[in-house]
Amino acid sequence: MGKLTIGCFPGLVGNMSYDFALKLAEAAKDKGHDVDVWFSGNAAGSVLAGQKHLKDYSTSEQHLVRLMEKGVKFCTCEACSVARGLKKDTSIEGIEWNAMHWYLGSVHGADRVLQIGGE
Amino acid sequence: MKLGVFVSDFELTNDTLDRVGPDGVILVANGVYHAALKTGGAASPLIGKYSSLYALSEDLETRGIDPSAVDSKVKVLDYSGLVDVIFKDFEKIAWL
Amino acid sequence: MGDVNCAFVVQKPQYKGETSRLAITHAISYQTVEILLDDGDTVTPTLNFIGEGVLGLSKNQKAMDKYGITSTENHMMNCCLVDLEVNVCKEDLEKYGIDPSTLPDAEEMGADVSINVVPMAEIKAKIDEARHVMIF
Repeated sequence: MGKLTIGCFPGLVGNMSYDFALKLAEAAKDKGHDVDVWFSGNAAGSVLAGQKHLKDYSTSEQHLVRLMEKGVKFCTCEACSVARGLKKDTSIEGIEWNAMHWYLGSVHGADRVLQIGGE
Repeated sequence: MKLGVFVSDFELTNDTLDRVGPDGVILVANGVYHAALKTGGAASPLIGKYSSLYALSEDLETRGIDPSAVDSKVKVLDYSGLVDVIFKDFEKIAWL
Repeated sequence: MGDVNCAFVVQKPQYKGETSRLAITHAISYQTVEILLDDGDTVTPTLNFIGEGVLGLSKNQKAMDKYGITSTENHMMNCCLVDLEVNVCKEDLEKYGIDPSTLPDAEEMGADVSINVVPMAEIKAKIDEARHVMIF
């Protein structure tokens, strides 16, 4: 089995590329691969806790929690997060906060890297 | 190294895909329209250009695209099959 | 594992969206990634601008004055200061009538490298040689 690193930059609501990233992460994990997901840009906003799932809108919180329970590692860009007013104590527990080099560090050990750009 | 590129849009507004020169293309999101839609009666230029051309079934079904409308040159796979393609058919992958 | 070579490919213009800027800042972060890796392991990016990605790279940008954000010009100079290999597609500069002399450099700040204007064929070679390709 290998390792997949996903760089996820699109926002949670308004861009289903984010949804794709999570579903791909889950499928890869279910097949026994290691999976790291890096949130940057507008994706950093998806780590805010207390999301309400309205069926017209993509939602991430429950999916992220479930994926973390399966062993997927998530890290959000600290700079992108604080720039958007996020604080660690109001964000989803278990998601790491780190600088951009976390992504490159994950890339170093990855067999496959999928960089999904923002807008 | 074999490169697989994900195409996530229908209108290709630039020539990056051609310039990057992938060995295969994976159609996802709005890119799945390339698998089935005909513009002015003509199939997508991607059909026939890449011997390895895949389309994600979940995204076809989300858009109500009838499987019978998918071109025979496109291999339809689900997320699980996509993972296998990523790890077995390509050595590196990119997203457009 | 040693060095892992990554090709960052920027195909979107600067400023309207942030993705293109994030490509630059992520590439620059290679400077500190070794703190997360085993001894001797590195990540070496090349930062390659093609298509509309060559737009917004020129000197005399007023992003800080007008919008209060760091200019791409500044980010590009930082690339030179950290010895990052930056390649800008020659054909696309010509296509958009952009004079290569308008690209910033950081020689006066002590940079040892400058931005390279190269044919697309060279950028394609970087993509082909890279272990991973990240398109922004």
